[in-house]
Amino acid sequence: MNILRVIAASCRMQVAETRRVPAQMLILATSPLFAAMFLSVMKRNGDPTVLTNAVFAPALISLWFMSLDLGGGMISNERWQATLEGLIGSPSRLGAVVFGRIIAVVGLAALTFVESYVMARLVFRMDVRIVHPLVFVLTLVVTLFAMAGTATALAGLFVLSRNVLLFQNSMTYPFYILGGVLVPVSLLPFWAQPVTRVFFLSWSSDLVRASMRTDAPGWAWQLAVVAVLGAAGLVGGLVLIERVVRRVTATGSAAMA
Amino acid sequence: MTDLAVEVRGLRRVYQARRGAPEARTALDGIDLDVVPGQIHGLLGPNGAGKTTLVKILSTVLLPTEGTARVLGYDVVEHRQDVRTRIGTVFGSERGLYARVSVRRNLLFWASLYGLSGRVGRHRTEQLIERVGLAERADDRVEELSKGMVQRVHLARGLIGDPRMVFLDEPTTGLDPVAALDFRALLGELLAEGRTFLLTTHDLDEAAALCAEVTVIDRGTLLMTSNVRDVGRRLAAPDRVDFDAEDNMVLEKLRGSGLVNGVSELDKPGRYRAEATSKESLTSVIRLLADEGITSLSTSPPTLEEVYLQLVGDRGMAV
Ligand SMILES: Nc1ncnc2c1ncn2[C@@H]1O[C@H](COP(=O)(O)OP(=O)(O)OP(=O)(O)O)[C@@H](O)[C@H]1O
Ligand SMILES: [Mg+2]
Repeated sequence: MNILRVIAASCRMQVAETRRVPAQMLILATSPLFAAMFLSVMKRNGDPTVLTNAVFAPALISLWFMSLDLGGGMISNERWQATLEGLIGSPSRLGAVVFGRIIAVVGLAALTFVESYVMARLVFRMDVRIVHPLVFVLTLVVTLFAMAGTATALAGLFVLSRNVLLFQNSMTYPFYILGGVLVPVSLLPFWAQPVTRVFFLSWSSDLVRASMRTDAPGWAWQLAVVAVLGAAGLVGGLVLIERVVRRVTATGSAAMA
Repeated sequence: MTDLAVEVRGLRRVYQARRGAPEARTALDGIDLDVVPGQIHGLLGPNGAGKTTLVKILSTVLLPTEGTARVLGYDVVEHRQDVRTRIGTVFGSERGLYARVSVRRNLLFWASLYGLSGRVGRHRTEQLIERVGLAERADDRVEELSKGMVQRVHLARGLIGDPRMVFLDEPTTGLDPVAALDFRALLGELLAEGRTFLLTTHDLDEAAALCAEVTVIDRGTLLMTSNVRDVGRRLAAPDRVDFDAEDNMVLEKLRGSGLVNGVSELDKPGRYRAEATSKESLTSVIRLLADEGITSLSTSPPTLEEVYLQLVGDRGMAV
């Protein structure tokens, strides 16, 4: 199908560009340091239940940060390179190009999971036991998809609204809290909990923790929730990107209204 | 349905005021244009005339404010997808490509956007790289290429979907003379394959050499559409007679005859040009010169450049 071809080609383009500008993936260099920091704190603390947090929280943080940073700037980037008009004038959808590029970003950023794991095993000699490998792998796959879907929404949102763009920098730490990345959502004040539940990362971090426990009840529907939230982000993102396209063709510029 | 490649009727485009541009601007103010298939149609006009705006509307990246435009029979608003699969657009800019990656990677990417499968896309890419003469630089990053080479990548990009109709917005700016000639030759080949071109350019010699028809627009309005061969006849501009004269007697006689607007010396010493007041007086001028024993004479209609200058006026840098 043609749309898959476009997604694949955009993914390859993103990888090719990243190879020329490795600094874009600086996060892969800083993420292990983050992991080391977390791990040393946790090791001293000695509580095994928070261990999984220490191992994978930095990876989830890096993933979110990358998606925000590169995903959010994706369309502006095309505008600066003056490729946006060529994309709009082509028979393919801009949304497919953006999503394809974001998949590459998320895929590369996912290497931070490997880094965190290696850091924990080899440097800190920790016994990271994944009790339910299937749950873990599925969680990872579905989380990456949800991340890509959410980043697609952000890519559209950042172009459509100047206000959202101003928030870009402040969209990191609050979301680590809301996403239950640093501490389980259940430890947050009760009134904050419903808010966290519309954010896929809160389910993902629960799932990551669950995959390391002997009991992992209800993981299937939790996975489904992550997938649905990701799909919602993707669909919303594609709609927003169509609005960007309409604005460009109407006003003659992609400048923010 | 019509058989025209491009059919524009009453086209208007207003850029609304917005942040940074406090006044609304009418870029096109009721343009009509017909482009016959299988030829190169030139679009001329001074800076800010509205050429790029027109090309953008025809290539579906900008919406018209009023009026209609059809490309290959398809409305650019209602049936833009049909238009997009059949056209190619080449902007004469150094930007608009992925500068950090190779020529080949750029073309492969655009090939998939134009719906080509991997195999067909690779084949078309190699073909075009060869055709625009970049075989040796295909693995270089676009940012490492010279301006003229980038221009050729743009051309290849515009042709990747094997379009029937190609829009070229100043494709030869920045090309050296040899490259510009190569470009013209290539355009000739592409034309022979049955494609249609709308070419905007500021190079009037190029327009005269390449185009079958030209349209001149200024400030969003149409000044003229004409067959290039007849362009001189489209104007009230007089015909001229060029001739050699040894002495000033002939010149005085001519000036006193009332048949000419003026006589001026050309670049070559002893060679003069007389502008006849009308088509009828042209014959009398020639007879007068012949009676004086001058046989080395030639007549010519005004060139495209002269017509253009008269239409657009000597505006200098003012826009
Ligand atoms: N995005 C835009 N927003 C507002 N005004 C615009 C925009 N693009 C073009 N214009 C205005 O529309 C008019 C026509 O511009 P256009 O670019 O179509 O001219 P052009 O004939 O291509 O000129 P040039 O020969 O310099 O390329 C100009 O007055 C220009 O300032
Ligand atoms: Mg222009």
